[in-house]
Amino acid sequence: MSRRRAKALPRGKDEDVRTVAGLITAGIISLVVVISVILAPIPQVGPDEGNQAPDFVAESYNGASWSEYRLSDNFDWDWNGSSDSKWFLIQFIDTDCPYCWTEGQEMSQLHSQWKDKVNFVTIAAQLNIPNHESNKDEVEAFRDKTSYFGCNSDRDDCSDRPGGPHDWPYIDDGTNSILGSWELSGTPFTAILEPDGTVAWNKNKHQGEGGDGEELPAALQRLVGGQ
Amino acid sequence: MAIITVPLAIFLLGIGVSSFLLMRGREASGEEGTVGVLNASMGFSAVGIMGSGWTWSIHNSMLIGSSSMCATEGLVQCGSVIGDPQWNNLFGIPWGLIGIGSFAIIWFLVLSIRMDMHAKWTSNYVDLLYFVSLAGVPFVLWLVIVELTMVDGAPHICPYCTVIHIALLGMVASAYYLRQKKETGTWT
Repeated sequence: MSRRRAKALPRGKDEDVRTVAGLITAGIISLVVVISVILAPIPQVGPDEGNQAPDFVAESYNGASWSEYRLSDNFDWDWNGSSDSKWFLIQFIDTDCPYCWTEGQEMSQLHSQWKDKVNFVTIAAQLNIPNHESNKDEVEAFRDKTSYFGCNSDRDDCSDRPGGPHDWPYIDDGTNSILGSWELSGTPFTAILEPDGTVAWNKNKHQGEGGDGEELPAALQRLVGGQ
Repeated sequence: MAIITVPLAIFLLGIGVSSFLLMRGREASGEEGTVGVLNASMGFSAVGIMGSGWTWSIHNSMLIGSSSMCATEGLVQCGSVIGDPQWNNLFGIPWGLIGIGSFAIIWFLVLSIRMDMHAKWTSNYVDLLYFVSLAGVPFVLWLVIVELTMVDGAPHICPYCTVIHIALLGMVASAYYLRQKKETGTWT
């Protein structure tokens, strides 16, 4: 009786090629990453002094209407330390935070003193604690000092806020995404940026444990006053 | 800045050559056809890796100013898309870096199959390649929606991002044909 031999299927290689494929892939990816970094080095971005400030795009209220605002659009990327470009004072608040309520007075004073040399930007977050719910109407009223009951943990009418109306952009950060990118868990917080967006002063690095105790007015005087 | 730059032209050429190889490999029978589709897959994933690297570089340069690597004005531009801090990241990781990682996995699978088409694990790897590629499609759709409707001054079309999206779709098609060849017994 004759037996039919089945047609042999092609067999794979004796050695496992996947290790070699993995090494080749790792080599190619490393090369691409190195070339990418050579083309454009990875900048240090974050809230620490000396880093590039975290950028954001959000809705901004200017006293009349809301429009899109991108922080980095206002930077002077060619700043060399000696031009007349304006610095930035970034303030984080929550319209229901009592300390932010009283800081309104100091911000009004600082703006009067430094508005020719410093762009003021206030970012209104919404801390995740009871009685801190807010909305755009409350942010508008807090900035403009107009009548709206609900500021300062729902205890006060926004028109009673200390200080005058704030004549600078208020940014809506109701989702706390900007707050998160600045690695903040509370308000108020302030930072001073150089005209090219480099963080020059971070409140949390100077106040509290281990800090030198330098306050915002003194920092403005030291950094911007001599310009 | 001209829309068609040298890097963009190279990437487009890569897409064109890979598409040609895919069409030819799909029609050819047996091992020749399979090798053609695998070569097309390597082309698409190579464009994906290099394109992602390029967009990551644009992202890094835009963090400290405008980039000379892509136009920043007009409908077809990168500035408002790759330079947008709100949209150009997934859990803080730039999309360019995610693209490099994702296409690296695809490249590894394709290269492994290409190096030993008859290994026991080939069928599993072809299935894996298909599902990994397919998993990228929702992200591509999401990013297209973002650039057309959500970024600052939308709509915008980022040319390098589009090249990467096309590379992924080409990869899905390639993986689909490879799977078909396996299932219909026309692999060799």
